[in-house]
Amino acid sequence: MWGGILNSIIGLWLMSAPGIFQYGSAASNNGHIVGPVIVTFAVVSMWEATRGVRKWNFPMGAWLLVAPWILGYDSTLAIVSNMLSGVLVIFFATIKGSIEQRYGGGWSSLWQKNPQHLKEAEKQ
Amino acid sequence: MSNKKENIPPGWDYNPATWSQRIPIVILAIFGFLIASYLAVYQLHITNDVWDPFFGNGSIKILESKVSNVLPIPDAALGAFGYLVDAVTGIIGGTQRWRKMPWIVIVFGLAVGPLGFVSVMLVVFQPVLFSAWCTLCLCSAVISIMMIGPAMDEMLASLQFMQRVRRSNASTWKAFWGVKSEIQKVK
Repeated sequence: MWGGILNSIIGLWLMSAPGIFQYGSAASNNGHIVGPVIVTFAVVSMWEATRGVRKWNFPMGAWLLVAPWILGYDSTLAIVSNMLSGVLVIFFATIKGSIEQRYGGGWSSLWQKNPQHLKEAEKQ
Repeated sequence: MSNKKENIPPGWDYNPATWSQRIPIVILAIFGFLIASYLAVYQLHITNDVWDPFFGNGSIKILESKVSNVLPIPDAALGAFGYLVDAVTGIIGGTQRWRKMPWIVIVFGLAVGPLGFVSVMLVVFQPVLFSAWCTLCLCSAVISIMMIGPAMDEMLASLQFMQRVRRSNASTWKAFWGVKSEIQKVK
């Protein structure tokens, strides 16, 4: 939950910073695309049943670390902001938080041989 | 009442198909429908102005863009239709629909989840293409994102149910469409 809230804030920052600080087009476009994707994954991961979606932000964070060099940013502020955001996004995405309910083994149960919901159904 | 034990999927602590679980999603979908309809009315040139307190001409720039009008019907109308599907598939069925009507739960989940995500991404590419923002388009995107998480638990319960159908001697096809005799064969 907390990881999701913090990563949403970082995503919103990535979306809005290009306009505030007048980044060049490479840095602006990257922020406008990556920011909303991070927000989406982070918000979806706030619910327990889809908490696993927080991990989808690992590649987004990793991309932020290399994007300034691949896309060739001209603003030092944009480089620092992207790389710092990347590190924080990866870190916050590792925070699982508490899961209070059971979900029959969750999404991974769908490709397990003997998933938890099947065992419980047989007991009933 | 609807959290009776037989309504709770095996291995779960609650029933994801209760009205208290579904009504908030349906309300969000109706809000999304209203916003998208309002934008569609502008795109169809029925009205001449769009409310935008933050980005001035941004909304008009985006709503008049080539990408928004690449299809025969304006993209906001398509969005409104999507929200309508979300709302209708959110309402249909009782509190046991995760097992009695798997197809509607799975259509609901796909419409809210993957389709919702794609529509959000389309909204999001607009500032990149036209360097403009649109307040109501962003509101619509926020609504779409908020709906995904709470809708997915019910979809998971239905997918797990379909997994149990496959392991039983019931017909997967008939159970998917909610044929009672097949549903009863599965725990």
